[in-house]
Amino acid sequence: MIFIAIILGCVIGALIGVNMPMISYSYSGYLAIAIIAALDSVFGGISATLNKNFDLKIFVTGFFGNAILSILLTYLGQKLNVDIYLAAIVVFVGRMFNNLAIIRRYYIEKFSKNKPKDDKVEGNNTEKN
Amino acid sequence: MKKFKFRADITAVTVVVFIVCIVLVSVMLMQFRTVEQTDITEIENMRESELRTALSEWKTKYEEVATQLEETNNRIEEYNQTIEDNEAASELIDEELKESNILVGKTDVYGEGIVVTLSDGNGQVEAYDLIDLVNELRYAGAEAISINEVRVLSTTDIIDMGGYTYIMVNLQRIQGPYVVKAIGDKDYMSTILNLKGSGFIDRTRTSSRINVSLTTEKRVEIPKSNNDFEIEYMREVESE
Repeated sequence: MIFIAIILGCVIGALIGVNMPMISYSYSGYLAIAIIAALDSVFGGISATLNKNFDLKIFVTGFFGNAILSILLTYLGQKLNVDIYLAAIVVFVGRMFNNLAIIRRYYIEKFSKNKPKDDKVEGNNTEKN
Repeated sequence: MKKFKFRADITAVTVVVFIVCIVLVSVMLMQFRTVEQTDITEIENMRESELRTALSEWKTKYEEVATQLEETNNRIEEYNQTIEDNEAASELIDEELKESNILVGKTDVYGEGIVVTLSDGNGQVEAYDLIDLVNELRYAGAEAISINEVRVLSTTDIIDMGGYTYIMVNLQRIQGPYVVKAIGDKDYMSTILNLKGSGFIDRTRTSSRINVSLTTEKRVEIPKSNNDFEIEYMREVESE
């Protein structure tokens, strides 16, 4: 069910994205930060699911909130002539790697030690996104 | 109850994941397209640092071009100078040509001079009288001479036609009275002609064969030569 939703969503999103008008280059910087924030939320959500502490509200608010907040921060940084988007990228990408590490360990333990449902994920500090 | 809640949860998660996927993928594709299709060389899309680099590049180029422009301008000035020089030279040549034309008799000329009129007296006026007179005028420094409005040049012949009563100058018949005009220093010429014993007028008067009168004038007009002299045999000697 969820996998169908993911595949369907990706297909529809691809169609929309292909047919949408092009945005101007000056705004693409904001969009890039928003995408990074959203991806971070997605990976956070996956790792939280694996940890069985996934919360839908936190996920939704994190997904949209982080994106909007990062855009606002980037805008503010441009006004202040400080590259705040660098800080946002560092934080989000760092967390993405973190979450990816959690996901990797979960599956490594699951397949190698043949202990299917034993909750032995050594998440360093799992984000609840 | 619990099961239902779980189901609702699953449905909500599915819907949320669906929406999130749509949003994320569409936005990402938009971004990809934008980044791919944007021409980085367009100035509106350039970052500030890129603009700075481009600006300094253009500045360097501008300076180069400015230097080149200056050089070119200098060269143009040089060329103009040369052209002016050429013009001066051609003016000089023009002047020379004009002078030559005057000397060769291709133009009407005027100036101070004398008019000598010869008419038959006890005898006829003969060609050698005129030749004599012309020679003496030349000796006296006449610049232009005409006989009865026919220009006398270096190539002019003055001949007697045997027993006829006319004389040919430049193969044109002329008849008396013969009016010889000469442009030059009028006082000097009249003095030379009037010299006692050797002057033309004095000699002819003493013989009284022909009548001679001489007047000095402020303005004597002499027409141009009306026969074209063609060089057929003589060639310039090439000299180094």
